Amino acid sequence: MTRIQDFGSFNAVREAGMGKLLPARPRIGVGMGTCGKGNGAEGVYHAFAEAISQQGRDVRLASVGCFGFCAQEPLVNVRIPGRPLVILRRVQASDVPRILDDLAAGSITEGLALCKIEEWDHLTARIVYGQGYPNIPSWQSIPFFKPQKKIVLRNCGLISPDDIEEYIAIGGYQALYKVLIDANPEVVIEQIKAAKLRGRGGAGFLTGLKWEFLRKAVSDEKYVVCNADEGDPGAYMNRNEIESDPHSLLEGMIIGAYVMGAAEGIVYIRAEYPLAVHRLTRAIEQARQSGILGDNCLGRGFRFDIRLVEGAGAFVCGEETALIASLEGYAGRPRPRPPFPAQKGLYDKPTNINNVETWYNIAPIVSKGPAWFSEIGSTKSAGTKVFSLVGKINNTGLVEMPLGTPLKTFIYDVGEGCGDGKHVKAVQTGGPSGGCIPQEMFDTPVDYETLAQLGSIMGSGGMVVMDEDNCMVDVSRYFIEFTHSESCGKCIPCRVGLDKSLRILNAFTRGRATEADLDRLDEMGRMIRDTSLCGLGQTAPNPLLTTMRHFRHEFLDHIRAKRCRAGVCDDLALSPCENSCPLHMNIPRFLQLYKEGRIEDAFEAVVMDNPLPGSTGRVCQHPCDNRCRRRTLDSAVNMREVHRTIADSIYQTDRFDALAARIVARKLPPTERKVAVVGGGPTGLAAAFYLALLGHEVTVYESNPEPGGMLRYALPEYRLPRAVIRSEVELIRRLGVEFQCGVAVGTDITLNDLDNQYNAVFLAIGTWKEAWVYLPGTELKGVIPALLFLEAVAKEEPVRLGRKVAIIGGGNAAIDSARTALRMGAEVTVIYRRERKDMPAIREETDAAEEEGAKFFFLATPHRIVGDEEGNVKGMEVVKTRLGEFDSSGRRRPVPTEEIRRLECDTVILAVGETVDQDFLRASGLRIKENGTLEVDRYTMETSRSKFYAGGDLISGASNVSNAMGYGKKAARKMDQRLMGTYRWDKIDPSFVYSNAPPGEPSTSQRHNLEELPARERVESFAETMISLSDEETLDEASRCLRCDVKDHH
Amino acid sequence: MPENISIRIDGEYVAAQEGQTILEVARAGGKYIPTLCWLAGTSSVGACRLCIVEVSGVGRLLPACTTPVQDGMSVTTTSEKLTQYRRIAIEFLFSERNHVCAVCVSNNHCELQAMAQKLGVTSVRYPYAYPKLGVDVSHPRYVLDHNRCILCTRCVRVCTEVEGAHVWDVSGRGIRSMIVCDMNRPWAQASSCTNCGKCVQVCPTGALAEKGFAVDEMVKQDHNMTRLTARRGGHS
Amino acid sequence: MKKVRLATVWLDGCSGCHMSLLDIDEAILAIAKRVDVVYGPLVDAQEFPKAVDVTLIEGAVSSQDDLEKVHTIRRWSKLVVALGDCAVTGNVPSMRNSHPARKMLERIYVEGVQTNRGVPVDGVPALLRQAVPVHEVIKVDLHIPGCPPAPASIAYALGELLEGRMPDLASKVKFG
Repeated sequence: MTRIQDFGSFNAVREAGMGKLLPARPRIGVGMGTCGKGNGAEGVYHAFAEAISQQGRDVRLASVGCFGFCAQEPLVNVRIPGRPLVILRRVQASDVPRILDDLAAGSITEGLALCKIEEWDHLTARIVYGQGYPNIPSWQSIPFFKPQKKIVLRNCGLISPDDIEEYIAIGGYQALYKVLIDANPEVVIEQIKAAKLRGRGGAGFLTGLKWEFLRKAVSDEKYVVCNADEGDPGAYMNRNEIESDPHSLLEGMIIGAYVMGAAEGIVYIRAEYPLAVHRLTRAIEQARQSGILGDNCLGRGFRFDIRLVEGAGAFVCGEETALIASLEGYAGRPRPRPPFPAQKGLYDKPTNINNVETWYNIAPIVSKGPAWFSEIGSTKSAGTKVFSLVGKINNTGLVEMPLGTPLKTFIYDVGEGCGDGKHVKAVQTGGPSGGCIPQEMFDTPVDYETLAQLGSIMGSGGMVVMDEDNCMVDVSRYFIEFTHSESCGKCIPCRVGLDKSLRILNAFTRGRATEADLDRLDEMGRMIRDTSLCGLGQTAPNPLLTTMRHFRHEFLDHIRAKRCRAGVCDDLALSPCENSCPLHMNIPRFLQLYKEGRIEDAFEAVVMDNPLPGSTGRVCQHPCDNRCRRRTLDSAVNMREVHRTIADSIYQTDRFDALAARIVARKLPPTERKVAVVGGGPTGLAAAFYLALLGHEVTVYESNPEPGGMLRYALPEYRLPRAVIRSEVELIRRLGVEFQCGVAVGTDITLNDLDNQYNAVFLAIGTWKEAWVYLPGTELKGVIPALLFLEAVAKEEPVRLGRKVAIIGGGNAAIDSARTALRMGAEVTVIYRRERKDMPAIREETDAAEEEGAKFFFLATPHRIVGDEEGNVKGMEVVKTRLGEFDSSGRRRPVPTEEIRRLECDTVILAVGETVDQDFLRASGLRIKENGTLEVDRYTMETSRSKFYAGGDLISGASNVSNAMGYGKKAARKMDQRLMGTYRWDKIDPSFVYSNAPPGEPSTSQRHNLEELPARERVESFAETMISLSDEETLDEASRCLRCDVKDHH
Repeated sequence: MPENISIRIDGEYVAAQEGQTILEVARAGGKYIPTLCWLAGTSSVGACRLCIVEVSGVGRLLPACTTPVQDGMSVTTTSEKLTQYRRIAIEFLFSERNHVCAVCVSNNHCELQAMAQKLGVTSVRYPYAYPKLGVDVSHPRYVLDHNRCILCTRCVRVCTEVEGAHVWDVSGRGIRSMIVCDMNRPWAQASSCTNCGKCVQVCPTGALAEKGFAVDEMVKQDHNMTRLTARRGGHS
Repeated sequence: MKKVRLATVWLDGCSGCHMSLLDIDEAILAIAKRVDVVYGPLVDAQEFPKAVDVTLIEGAVSSQDDLEKVHTIRRWSKLVVALGDCAVTGNVPSMRNSHPARKMLERIYVEGVQTNRGVPVDGVPALLRQAVPVHEVIKVDLHIPGCPPAPASIAYALGELLEGRMPDLASKVKFG
């Protein structure tokens, strides 16, 4: 290896490196970081090496570091001389022949291409690769890379980490050379200070100031140390930096050592990072051989060497005083500061410790100047930071962003949200020492000060994204468990406090915590934060304190309702499906009973859990599907269809009477309590069913001629035949529930009357008012609110529907209206302001509507409705929208453009949302919330008036059938408890003996989906469109259940 | 010669010398700051956090035993928050291991017990851990009862820094930290032990005790320590 | 003046706290005039009464029986006082907590005796997994630690309670 003694030898090395980086033949670089290797990069590399040597191809093969896009590993870059560098993604060994053949033919395998790089700014030099490939997007147009700014990661994934010549080729060690030649350390320190670089280990202390302390310290020996003890769960930027570009670290340290006057440098690195250790060791050797480390650095007479110390992986050794103790050979326990390491550090000598990433910023600042650096990022937090974006996010990876970038850019632009149509709930920044930031606060700029204000920290830059499937109690328990086991045990608050916190959090996850525990946790968290000896203890309560602040309701759920909404806390749920079901149906039980051929028992079990299974079997939004563990094998068990089949095989058959009698026999003795239920929709029916079972005398008041609410009067016949809901109501009637139909509470009978006549009143009226929009032309003839339209059709009343119908909205009411109008022979256009994927309607329904001939006009919002001279609708004008910033729902907000389109229509159906009847609410005198819904205690369902309870849409706003019924069921339980002074719910919980053996081998059967009649046939009539499963298919489906309700209780 | 400076403790001016800690200045000036791990004549480790004080202009609470005084510094030794935090620390200690005062040799002569009384702790609000811990009775004259240990490391420091034997150290970490003898051997087999008994006399609780005493009877002779360190001229 | 309804309860403890209560010398006369002792080992009452002003609990919660008792006590008492270290900290009864209750019983009733070996089951309440202080089960309004608490502390606390004040015991009492 050439020893660099002067410019001549330096330039010679540089030329040699350039020849390797931009050879006159094709070059292939395989991303060989730990992450790439974990995804099979080694196999890919060997496949290339073998093919190249066997086939004698004229290709240069290199192993490079990681380009940061973890979700697309293994990454391979290829370049043909004079053309751009192209990054290929998810390359497998089997792709190798194709890639080589294409290269030989002078082309790039475009099917694998992620992006191209035409030129790259290494900050210390600019590399021009070439032009071409119009079909391959530039790297900066890829959402994942677009907002990124690569300073620290400037070389990662592009050069070989094992070759000092390639590093020198891209301008490496030039900054060092300059510093040595200028020989003016004070100027360098001033530059670092002026750049406002802050410590990237997390605390954010000004690096220049720290350097000045050490420079001014008087001592015969001084040390510079690199803290590479990266230990946060979910953070791996330092590992990747060292694995991909070790020389940048060395260069930063040598510059630092020179200006601070140290002769020895130490890199304290985790032993669990073998590849980083290996590459750094090799880089140090190469630097020594090249005359960069050693007695005479670059021939300028500066003596400095670096050694590597492998730490055993104790998290606390990231704390600088503990790190020093560990370097000295003692147990890694921190000591109080002062004295600070700059006064008394390693072996009691002045010492400077900087994080890996801090060192990576040095060379660019020296070569491009402090002004360039401080311009990037925000005023107080200059520059960039590398973050590891992990967790429930589509694009996982290492991203380097200017400080001050809002969180939502990370989550939605770079990360592109979380998959499966789920919603991001929160982000944990700063690892176990950081805090949890809820989705409502995603406008927060990510910088040192703002994060600290929110009770979080920048930390190492870990960013763990959480969605609705994460339980925040469990999340804080997880992080406390981590810091608890990593606490060194020296000071009392951290050692004992974290242990007590963990015990209490464990009690939460088992449903055994009390409200006093919440206060205790809060008090304890503050005490640990304010009194612990070192940073570990001082920051350890952050996850707990922030989750308690932002997700207090989840903690309360675990206390009061013994419920974990995310279904994570095992002890609080029977199974994931049960936990996600608003009615908490014991789904594994009815599946097993069906599997055992006990259809009557299965029916009884289903009805006792859910009194309207025929309806929910058809129209439930089936949240259970999303949680089913079978998804990890193939796809969810079709639980909804099984309970539909069970319901259909009893209702409307001659078995109904016998089964109804079995249910009636479960009724508890009369309690002599009278309860009124206002509203005969799903909420009211569910409440009435259970209240009657519990022995109360129940009267349901319904303003319509028949009970059923939305099920009867809003859902079209083709989705839910009337006969189904009628037999379900019949069963409830047999339990003794009295229905007073055609009676409107508020006009025909007052709340005071009910108060006088009943022991308790349950209010369960739905959202029957269509939200109105301000739109010119809504007064025209031919404009109909969707619910009125659907109701009129359901009541078989005459409706004036034209030939061409425009429907405004994207919810279920819009789609129901569309499909109904199609059946009435109209042409239908649905206008929605966002994109298809943003529609709140059930996806299958939207698809079905399209098959039946509905047209969709996305990204458009109504401008005005145009009428003719007689005041009839004759057309509409819509404004095209484009998608703007992300709003608090995690969707892009539609922004109107200038473009106006006109469409012809004679009927406009408004389906922009339903609301509670405000007149009724105001007249009731009950307390109303700001959003126009009724205020109730979410645990007892009590309203502000004693004896009055409420549930369903009235308290939640427009929702769906199962949620509505869930409220009814819960209200019945709570009302009974209040009426009787004791908890009696267990008494109506049926017990069945059935097998609790999980299947030894999961059934090989695939999910059975419903068949639908052909679209052409469907639109001919209002007949039900879905063909239910056969008995055999249902049995097959029930057998697919993995029985995760069966728990091992040893 | 260190420079003479002046600081304020709870509003009163107190004379101090540069290089002294807040605790040293407070003690010399007759001001009480509670401590448990601090031991005259040995190095300060700032582990028990009872001596935390408020220093005006500093956002964080600082341990008096390791924080050097600075001219013009204003220190508050007692406040509602400090008392609350100190109480919590005591409650933590009582619930960490098995402290049963009623049957302890050091009953009525125990610094932990006295501190609880002084700080007004009348019950422990945190769940007791009830760990299963051993008692080392192998030594002919002394006994080590881990149930009563508060990990203050006074024994470790007195043995290392005063006796020079370094018999004791802390093994494990976090809640599993334990005082160990030599390379985790029974005390009787600790070849480094000189049987001087200093560790026993400085132990604030009944964790280290002389054999042959019943409940209430173990009175520590720590005045010997004061004499010893005074003779050494060591830092106190 | 209406007399204060006072109950005393003896759970898992040695009755030393009750002794200490009786040991408050002449103060007991003044107190006796102002209270009705409606339940406890000192009086003959079978069932815990439904309206009690102050209940003093001695002893740790150690058995299923104790557990049910303290819930009843909390339900019907205005003020609950944990009297003595067993009720306040678990004290001596809690020394078994590091070992499984079953093992301890076997050690005593099977390994430890020569005759009539066997863990008694009939007529004795089942032991809980651990003996715990009262406040880990129900809300406690006042703690009077001590083994036993000094008669003076008890007299002071009762005196204050009878005056309708919550006594401030900080620094007046100690564990052990």
